[in-house]
Amino acid sequence: MTSAMPVLLKELRDAVRSRWLTAFAISFALVALALAGVQQQGDVGAQGFNRTTASLINLCLLLVPLIALAMGAGAIAGERDRATLATLLAQPLTATQLLLAKYAGLSIAIWMTVMLGFGVAGFLMALFSPVTDFGHYLLFIVLAGGLASAMLSIGVLISVLSEGRAKAVAVAMLTWFVMVLFYQLAAIGMALTVTPSGEALVLAAVLNPVESIRILAVLSLEPDLQVLGPLGAFLNTEFGAGRSAILLSGATAVWAAVPLTAAVMLFRRQDA
Amino acid sequence: MLNVRSVSKRYGKTTVLDGVTFDLDAGQVLAIVGSNGAGKSTLLKSILGLLHFEGDIEVDGISVTRQGQQARRRIGYLPQHPAFHADLSVHETATFYARIRGVPVAEALAAVEAVGLAEHAGKAVGALSGGMRQRLALAVAQLGDPALLVLDEPTAGLDVGARLELRHFIAGEQERGRTVVLSTHWMEDVPAMADVVLVLDQGKTSYFGPSSTFTAAASPQSRMFLRLNGRTDEAIPLITSLAGTVTHEGEWVAVTCLAASKAQVLAALFGAGIKVLDFRVEDAALPSTIDTGGRGGLS
Repeated sequence: MTSAMPVLLKELRDAVRSRWLTAFAISFALVALALAGVQQQGDVGAQGFNRTTASLINLCLLLVPLIALAMGAGAIAGERDRATLATLLAQPLTATQLLLAKYAGLSIAIWMTVMLGFGVAGFLMALFSPVTDFGHYLLFIVLAGGLASAMLSIGVLISVLSEGRAKAVAVAMLTWFVMVLFYQLAAIGMALTVTPSGEALVLAAVLNPVESIRILAVLSLEPDLQVLGPLGAFLNTEFGAGRSAILLSGATAVWAAVPLTAAVMLFRRQDA
Repeated sequence: MLNVRSVSKRYGKTTVLDGVTFDLDAGQVLAIVGSNGAGKSTLLKSILGLLHFEGDIEVDGISVTRQGQQARRRIGYLPQHPAFHADLSVHETATFYARIRGVPVAEALAAVEAVGLAEHAGKAVGALSGGMRQRLALAVAQLGDPALLVLDEPTAGLDVGARLELRHFIAGEQERGRTVVLSTHWMEDVPAMADVVLVLDQGKTSYFGPSSTFTAAASPQSRMFLRLNGRTDEAIPLITSLAGTVTHEGEWVAVTCLAASKAQVLAALFGAGIKVLDFRVEDAALPSTIDTGGRGGLS
């Protein structure tokens, strides 16, 4: 893996140099601070991190998949566009090493972005108000990172399957629309027209990492899951909070591993 | 040193390489010759293990398909159109590839200096000219002192000076004991650069053998079109006495001659006071059949 380390470091360096990733980190921090500020003004006394965390969930579920899919989509397709892929693969580097190094580099970069954005906001919030529920806030950062890893994996698969960067990014944006916006609307529509079983609701949740993370975030704040209606009730009675968390975390991990494995297998079979 | 065994490559129903087989000893320079689409780049990319193919290729006894990483450690590659990350500087690019190859950074800097890019080390690759980018690619190809250099159309787009420089470079590499495999569609490059020639014709080997035999059998031909100042009747016998065949094509006089005789024809016309108002030359073409007179290693 030594040969692949420079590729990983280059991805990291590119991410640091990339202005839009920095912009995302600053945006995360500013929004987190603004939400905390608004909630402080509206209530008497310290409310801790829980309300801020709850408010940030939706922002996180919108932005993190967008960054991860877009960056993943450019990973291999970008090299193809620049015609640098053949030069890279002509080095003592296997296709698997190249792909995994790129994934690892991008994954670390996005984790850093999320941690930096929310971490700075959390630190500033802690300076001005008593620290309560900080654990939930930290868990939320980890969930955001987990979501990034899963969506990055899908983005890399799209990249391997695409001829060029433009096409890859277009497919990634469509995937983002379907998984982040359309999926939930479709699920609500389904729930209104037919009465789905608890199993069907759980299946719908684990088939989309965005939904898995959404429920995990809610679970971390409200372990009885009542706010999630029939799905929450089913998870609570059938699995309980702990096993639900394991199921949803496992589903997210599978979403991180399976598309990446598929990407590696396909990439190895492709001609450079 | 390089063993290519029954290598075939197909894209759907199209066969790009068809059972190519040859062996190359250490220190030899092989020129792969063929027209566009003959399979030259496909063969070079197969040697690097960049493509999936039937058959086997070994570099120093190491299979490029089964032990690609180890095999590529022994190969330096100059692509036809060198491409690097445009945002990296020359120095950063050389360092990046040196680290991938496990080579000390000092060697990368020395390689950049050796190709004459030391004063451009801080310049972004995107700002380099095509020639400079090729020099950088040559520096990268030499990192880690590979035993085999694979050069894809290294003379394409080079001016006369750069071409001569490249010939000197290849001769120097051969003196150092490196094996070089290069592709070209310029037959004139062959005698000057290579001691072994592989001619590909629609993916099949039509000739493999010493370049001396090949050059004698398949001297490169040029087709030169001249527009003269009306003294065509005088010019035609003069040209015919020097080289090839001459025909009239509208206002142009078409001369088919040895590539090396082009300058001689022009000099003779100038000497006779016949003005050449305009001229153009078609690429040296590969003869459709190569008669080696039984001296070459037709396979």
